[in-house]
Amino acid sequence: MLLPFFLLLALPAIVLAAKDSTHQRLVKLAAENNGVVKLDAKTFDLIISPQRDWSASIHFTALDKRRKCTPCREFEPSWVAVAKAWSKVLPSERDSHFFATIDFDDGQMVFQRMGLQSAPVVMNYPPATGPRKSANPDTPITHDFSYGFDPQPLAEQLSAFTPIPIPFRPPINWAKWGVGAFFTLSGVLAIRFLAPVLRNRWTWATITVLTSLVMTSGYMFTRIRGMPNTAPDGSWISPGFQSQYGQETVVVASLYGLLSASFLMLTLVAPLQTSPTRQRTQIYLWTGVVFILFSVLVSFFRVKNRGYPFKLLL
Amino acid sequence: MPKAYPLPTDLSPATVANTASLVRIVAFAFISGAAIASRLFAVINFESIIHEFDPWFNYRATRVLASKGFYEFWNWFDPTAWYPLGRVVGGTIYPGLMATSGVIYNLLHSLHLPVDIRNVCVLLAPGFSALTAWATYMFTKEMKDESAGLLAAAFIGIVPGYISRSVAGSYDNEAIAIFLLMFTFFLWIKAMKQGSALYGTLAAVFYFYMVAAWGGYAFITNMIPLHALALTLMGRFTNRLYVGYSSWYAIGTLASMQVPFVGFQPVRTSEHMGALGVFGLLQIVAFVELVRSHVSSKQFQQLLFSGVIAAGILGTLAIVGLTYNGSIAPWTGRFYSLWDTGYAKKYIPIIASVSEHQPTAWPSFFMDLHFLIFLFPAGVVLCFKQLRDEHVFVIIYALVASYFAGVMVRLMLTLTPIVCVSAAVALSSVFDTYIDPTEPEVSDGDKVDASKKDKSAATPASGASVVGLLTEMVTSGPSTTKKAKPTQRGIFGLDTRAAVIVNALGMLLFFVMHCTWVTSVAYSSPSVVLASHNQDGLQLIDDFREAYYWLRQNTPKDAVVMSWWDYGYQIAGMADRPTLVDNNTWNNTHIATVGKAMSSSEEVAYPILRKHDVDYVLVIFGGMIGYSGDDINKFLWMVRIAQGVWPDEIQEPRYFTPQGDYRVDDQASPTMKNSLMYKLSYYRFPELFGGGHAQDRVRGQMIAKPGPSLDYLDEAFTSENWIVRIYQVKKDDPLGRDLKSANAFDQGKKRKRTRPPVRRRSLA
Repeated sequence: MLLPFFLLLALPAIVLAAKDSTHQRLVKLAAENNGVVKLDAKTFDLIISPQRDWSASIHFTALDKRRKCTPCREFEPSWVAVAKAWSKVLPSERDSHFFATIDFDDGQMVFQRMGLQSAPVVMNYPPATGPRKSANPDTPITHDFSYGFDPQPLAEQLSAFTPIPIPFRPPINWAKWGVGAFFTLSGVLAIRFLAPVLRNRWTWATITVLTSLVMTSGYMFTRIRGMPNTAPDGSWISPGFQSQYGQETVVVASLYGLLSASFLMLTLVAPLQTSPTRQRTQIYLWTGVVFILFSVLVSFFRVKNRGYPFKLLL
Repeated sequence: MPKAYPLPTDLSPATVANTASLVRIVAFAFISGAAIASRLFAVINFESIIHEFDPWFNYRATRVLASKGFYEFWNWFDPTAWYPLGRVVGGTIYPGLMATSGVIYNLLHSLHLPVDIRNVCVLLAPGFSALTAWATYMFTKEMKDESAGLLAAAFIGIVPGYISRSVAGSYDNEAIAIFLLMFTFFLWIKAMKQGSALYGTLAAVFYFYMVAAWGGYAFITNMIPLHALALTLMGRFTNRLYVGYSSWYAIGTLASMQVPFVGFQPVRTSEHMGALGVFGLLQIVAFVELVRSHVSSKQFQQLLFSGVIAAGILGTLAIVGLTYNGSIAPWTGRFYSLWDTGYAKKYIPIIASVSEHQPTAWPSFFMDLHFLIFLFPAGVVLCFKQLRDEHVFVIIYALVASYFAGVMVRLMLTLTPIVCVSAAVALSSVFDTYIDPTEPEVSDGDKVDASKKDKSAATPASGASVVGLLTEMVTSGPSTTKKAKPTQRGIFGLDTRAAVIVNALGMLLFFVMHCTWVTSVAYSSPSVVLASHNQDGLQLIDDFREAYYWLRQNTPKDAVVMSWWDYGYQIAGMADRPTLVDNNTWNNTHIATVGKAMSSSEEVAYPILRKHDVDYVLVIFGGMIGYSGDDINKFLWMVRIAQGVWPDEIQEPRYFTPQGDYRVDDQASPTMKNSLMYKLSYYRFPELFGGGHAQDRVRGQMIAKPGPSLDYLDEAFTSENWIVRIYQVKKDDPLGRDLKSANAFDQGKKRKRTRPPVRRRSLA
């Protein structure tokens, strides 16, 4: 008779206990795996439960080899590093935000329900109850990958959802420092032997000329834009005036270099020749090289700029 | 000595010299004429009009200067820009350009030549291009000789890389800055070569003019110290270098601090620390040299040497320490983004969003420099061969500028002069070798070849001790002939000469044709007036001015116009109406506010518009005639910049379809469709096509019917080709309804009758 009544009284306590136990379970799961909760379909519902007073950043990924998700594997280390940085925070703050990962092979249902067709995706769920309660807790905020997969911008952006900023510090790249120190040291030690090389103007001339050739062939464009060496279908000329592939840099730089060298041969080397016939051969050879290479260059330019009205041989 | 072709022998040296000088003057007159004339395509094809965006502000400021005088201009506070903040114009601009036009204008008027200030502004850049050609001539003359100088002047006069920023009407700081750049460099070379305090001071004066004219003065601020440092490291420190540098630095820095916009930056920011550091270093080195000349003890000299190194390290540490301390500001974002090329995209999207800040692909280099681009390395090698002090400057300049030009399209402008100089040196060496009529003797004679160039004989610098064996072989040219075994040098026969010269002249001719074509096709569009070719011939599209004049004539003088920042200067210049943001992008938050209003829904945007007193909203829409530089294509930058300030309200991914595409048709995301920019662009657009498909001709997509509806704004004006669309922001409803329901009522939609909500009274 009184039993249902008691049950009714006890309901809030049970719910509270359930919530507490969920929370503790999540804390435990996070602690086991360096701060990342490994989710499946069931635990996914737990972590985004409507009574949550915690926030969560959930990483949807597909790491299995069969899925062939290269970006997922590229992004994974950054995610782990940021989550690990968060696990170093004092428990009072740490346990109110979770980093979780759900793999496609563990929770296909979840992916379908969320309507996700690509990975990796990071969604930030704000808390639904409690002091940090968000205005609309049901719509997770998708992380914007426009800053790339690096951990530093990731930590900065995710800090908007954590109670305190994520104390992420990029790890010191010992290998890079070591290599740098090695070369500096060996350079200093070898300076006695390197000095004639360093004091030779033609060392510097080579460096200068190569640098300016490479720079004026659009090397920085391919660097900054991350252009591939060739197109996926194997063609190496990028269509369009404002774009180019890595292979084009090589071709254009060598064309410029050869043309430049031919002019230098004409100016510096040919006049030194003391035999008239050999000199004549040289001069005609280099003049011909200049003319032909310049024609090649112009026709290459015509490929890039369709409206260009001039042409030489080709 | 045999000759390939006969030369007249009965000429006195004076006649030759006079004729050469006359030929130079005539050639120079033709070069100036060509430089000015090739920049007039824009005036002839269109009209005498100010181009693009920034020039409109410069023009407006110049008008204030011309009509009110310099003092008023200096204290000008413009309340109509950055409404409601306003802008202190006098303290936030480089006034050199306006001051130059103002002086020319007043000079002409004092001569009773009533020239309109607009024509002074339009024709300033072509006029200065002739001066640039002259400055380049002087500079190249220091590197090689007069003939190379004339070639360099001709190159810089017509090369597209410089024309792109100096056609008639392109009234921007670069118009005069390249002249100042080259002339300052010329004066510096003179000061360094002669150890002349006079030339050092003149360099400082022109440096001051440059500082007053263009933000790119930092290039000079770092190039000259770099040159001085390189010379010192090469063991070429001389008292001439000391005098030249010290006089330039001391006077130039003090003078540059007089420009209000620069102020104390020369002693407080990292960009200028290199110049200060080299100044300090030279003082120490000079002191050591002085002591060394008086003291003989070897130990003492060694002590002194280590003292110099210690002082250098201490000085560097002090600068680094002050930077950490905060007394010296670190590199500003614009400069830093040249080294760390990903920086701007991450932290200053407003810089990354500008198209001239993109990296340069190789076709742009070839388009802008044509055959100079591959003569340029040859010229650098020739500089290495002689390696006098001034050649070191060319080498450093070439290295630095080619990197910068690769990182930013805009900096092609700083590369162009050195490419012209270097290519002229290379080409003129070819001509020197192949025009010279003296032929070497076939048998190896003993006498030194008389054909060697006298100028190169004067080079003291080719230290044979550091040059390797290979070098000896390659470079056993004129400079080493005295020491080494006399070498035969020269060309046999006429046919070889003819072949090389005809080939080179052919290339020059091709270059001229290329430059003319590029200038007329690519660089002479004012971008205020567009031209399109159809079967009826050339058709001018004058929507911008149509719309700006509509604003000017049909709206109250204090009506605030909101648009994206690109059009701020044009609205202020042509429509004379207050704007929220303009091309002087100093306040990122204000720009982000506009971005937020454009990328939010009408309900969210309306309070923003009302709080900023916005009366009209202006958008650029190219979907009707296929004008691709419109606001929908710039829209993602608005979203990104707004997201930078309000990351929780604006998120870029929401403007994409679930597949990650940027679309405007029926698959567009709801956020996109509800955004103010989308609605303003496509409002009533489908109606234009009747029953047919409403196709956006820029993006090639069909706009869903019915098109977007507006509740809070009214269409006020749409230009002939729909490029400019202006909307009026509605005032509050007189009956106090919210505008959405008022609009629904007007359209005859009945409000759904719902049961009145039951009011529960709480039983407290």
